[in-house]
Amino acid sequence: MKGPAETLCAISAGIRNALRERSNQWILKRQGIDDVSVTLHRRRTYILPTRAGAFFAVVVLMLLIGSLNYANNMGFALTFLLTGVGLVAMHHCHRNLAGLCISFKQAKPVFAGDKAQFEFIIDNTDALSRSQIGAGLKEATAVCGDIRAKNRAIFALPLVTSKRGWITCPRIELSTTYPLGLFRAWAPVHMDLQALVYPRPTNRLQTILSASSAQSLSGLSLIGEDEFSGLREYRSGDSLRNIAWKSAASRGILLVKEYKEGGQTPLWIDWSQLPYPETETRLCAMCRLVIDADAEQQVYGLRLPGVTVSPEKGHSHLHHCLRELAMFAPAKPSRS
Amino acid sequence: MDKLLPLHEPSAQDRRIRLLWLLIAVLFVSLPHLLQVNIWITLMLLGVGAWRYALEYRNWSMPSAWIKVPLVFAALAAVGFTYRSITGVEAGTGLLLVMLALKILETKTGRDLIVVSGICWFLMFAAFLREQQLWAIPYILFGISLSVAALIQVHRVSAVLPARQVIIKTAGIIIQALPIMLVLFFLFPRIPAPFWAMSTVGSSAQTGLSDQLNPGDISSLSRSDSVAFRVRFNGAIPPASERYWRGPVMTYFNGREWSWADRGEPILSVEELLVGGTYYEYELMLEPHGREWLLALESPVQWSQNKAYLSANLQLISQIPVRQRIAYTARSYQFVQKQAPDVERHIQAMRHLPSGSNPETLAFALKLRNESSSDSDYLNRILDMFRQQNFYYTLRPPRLGNNPVDQFLFASRRGFCEHYASAFATLARAANIPARVVTGYLGGELNPMNNDLIVRQSDAHAWTEVWIDGNWLRVDPTAAVAPQRIELGLDEALSASDFDFRRNMRNTQLFRQAILSLDAVNAAWNRWVLAFGPEMQQDLLRNAGFDKPDMRDLILLMAISISLLLAALAYYLRFGIRSKKDPLLQTYETFCKKLADSGVIRHRSEGPASFAARASRLRQTDRSHIESITQLYIGLRYESIGSIVPTAELRQLTKLVKAFKPTSD
Repeated sequence: MKGPAETLCAISAGIRNALRERSNQWILKRQGIDDVSVTLHRRRTYILPTRAGAFFAVVVLMLLIGSLNYANNMGFALTFLLTGVGLVAMHHCHRNLAGLCISFKQAKPVFAGDKAQFEFIIDNTDALSRSQIGAGLKEATAVCGDIRAKNRAIFALPLVTSKRGWITCPRIELSTTYPLGLFRAWAPVHMDLQALVYPRPTNRLQTILSASSAQSLSGLSLIGEDEFSGLREYRSGDSLRNIAWKSAASRGILLVKEYKEGGQTPLWIDWSQLPYPETETRLCAMCRLVIDADAEQQVYGLRLPGVTVSPEKGHSHLHHCLRELAMFAPAKPSRS
Repeated sequence: MDKLLPLHEPSAQDRRIRLLWLLIAVLFVSLPHLLQVNIWITLMLLGVGAWRYALEYRNWSMPSAWIKVPLVFAALAAVGFTYRSITGVEAGTGLLLVMLALKILETKTGRDLIVVSGICWFLMFAAFLREQQLWAIPYILFGISLSVAALIQVHRVSAVLPARQVIIKTAGIIIQALPIMLVLFFLFPRIPAPFWAMSTVGSSAQTGLSDQLNPGDISSLSRSDSVAFRVRFNGAIPPASERYWRGPVMTYFNGREWSWADRGEPILSVEELLVGGTYYEYELMLEPHGREWLLALESPVQWSQNKAYLSANLQLISQIPVRQRIAYTARSYQFVQKQAPDVERHIQAMRHLPSGSNPETLAFALKLRNESSSDSDYLNRILDMFRQQNFYYTLRPPRLGNNPVDQFLFASRRGFCEHYASAFATLARAANIPARVVTGYLGGELNPMNNDLIVRQSDAHAWTEVWIDGNWLRVDPTAAVAPQRIELGLDEALSASDFDFRRNMRNTQLFRQAILSLDAVNAAWNRWVLAFGPEMQQDLLRNAGFDKPDMRDLILLMAISISLLLAALAYYLRFGIRSKKDPLLQTYETFCKKLADSGVIRHRSEGPASFAARASRLRQTDRSHIESITQLYIGLRYESIGSIVPTAELRQLTKLVKAFKPTSD
């Protein structure tokens, strides 16, 4: 059972959220979608008192009433100096944020479940050093720091991913409560930013086991018959499949079969030869195979319904393949 | 390149530094209270501050609710027990200090620092309810600066700032806030009366005249050196013997004490008065005494205080007790006469004497009156008696019993002004002459620093008025015994046994000078700062050119001024801040300027290296200099780590550039 205090909290939080959504809608309508580089002009830097600021206002008001009642001139001096401090703090707070230029730098692709890092640059072209500039997605501040005069700062905002494909960066918010925490200036930035999310590779051992079982079941070879060139000592990261178990048993150390590159037959990582019924699981397994193949420096190709990436190797090829996996959209269930 | 870093918990050192700033602010703000409040509150605050710091320093865990909750109740109960209430200024101050201590103990993150700051500001206000001396200004400035500094430190998510930077930032905010404070101080609409009355601290302890006159009252007052009021004359200053400052007029005598009964008296309208003689105009700044009467030179006819009236006894009376220092201007005439139709009824009460008391005096009076030719003759004979028989003027008269006038006149014969005034008035009444006792002040010290007349409690005096030939006549019987008292003041009139030490001290030239200088400063402070209220605000506006200033004008003027100030602040923040010029670049620009003066001008697009190459070609003789300077510059500019330029190399470059003298065409 909820207590009345909790209910009240929930209601006020609900009202706050609703107000926040309304104001954000209004701001978005007012500002439109931003470019990848945007200067936070004064007119798009908003400011409101914080809870501490509201408390401050109440205290100043009470002091004013007290001073009036006792006609106490030093009380007036105290009250009005505090009023001045509050007003000055408001201007400092607004100025601390206004005029900064925020530019999108990059967002490297990640595997689903990892955090996508949207990287930005803030340029402070003014002779004024900026203190305690916070940045975050929506209203949650994730990073904070100072920016010296005529300097630039970098920051990255993490965004949790759950499924493959394009993930859209929500509203970015730069904010500051400098200097006294009485006001919060903020500037929402709506850039049209996306990061690519690769499927999450399945657990290594699982893939291998299921792959080998698939091999034995269907009789199809996943691995190209490469030209054997010799044996070398096992290094971590080597595929278990390449271990020369017989030689290893006789010599007492793990040995790995090496294959001549030139004569390497390309390895095809093929959608149709994986034994998973579900599309996503199948993509995840393919992702694992692609990563492993790349780690083994193999030449490999990718076959997806409707998409074929010809065999090759190297970094850009890896990302090409992963990209295809991330973007794959099964055309129609009847086809597969 | 700077970096915005993910939020993290503040380090132990950061937390400690923040707490230290907070504790310094709290300690400074509570300073004026620590010696005033009950000792246990002082000890509690200091103890809790030390405890809290130890917790942070040793990294111990904060006290649990099992300790805190009983502590809160115990402390609140203790405050209630100590002050017997939790309202009122003194109890309120104690309560605030206790709340402050408890809040410090609870403050974990510093997020609720704003609550601590709020309590601190209320404490500062409470200190001003007690007194508002000059120290209030540094107290406000430093107190608020410290809380601003603490707020800056606590609201930093990143590491705390070094002390120097915090001080610079705080000073910036305070300096920018000061003009706003001044504008609001002078232009915020002041209202005259309080909404609700609450006894302020020390009102009971204020020294001053009373509404009763007992033998011994004024002599005890004479021991106080505190200022009763200050006067600044507009034009001539009356001679010492004319400086009778009229206070409560005592008309009722019960045989032992005289008392003031002016409250129900009819209001005298100024039109009924006949005035004559010289007049004096002056501004009087009255220290609060908590009573209704206002002091004025005899006899006031015009005054600027709105809520004041002249009583039938020619006494200036305020409708509200003087709880704050007030200033008013007045004009007093040497001779004032009242023309009222009901005079006879009014003076009839001034003949009354209680039956049965002071029988010897009554008998003596009847005998003396029979021997006298007229009322005036009778009164002169009394004064002659004071003058010729051995009556003494002393601050330490013997105690008197139930018939004090009898005892004074026929036994002790030693007394202070109130004894003489009381005896004289009694004798007059005994002969059926209307008489009353006037209390007030006589004299005052002229401060050469600002020409203020300082009237102290020690100048308190009592004299009499008698009704002779249809007029009230002032008779000061003290003048008969101690004429120096009237001409020269109390210190000169007293015998050597009274206050030897005080006289010596006060007569030291240096000491006197210091006291007078300090008083001049205090008077200016009272006059220009503390006395600023609705009336002075109106004057200010009138001087600024408003014919009939009202609330709307004030608010408008205030709004415009504040807007202008804020616009100026915004402009300054936007365009006014210039970065310090890079010393390296400055040196290089000097070098370029020297070359330009010799005829080789650097193009905008030209880099240092290509410019040096071209300049070397054109100025073959200076080739080695140009090259070494440029090399050094490029090295410093592009190879130094970050923005820090090694000072030794920079100095070398500056030296080279200074010595560089290119040959010109």
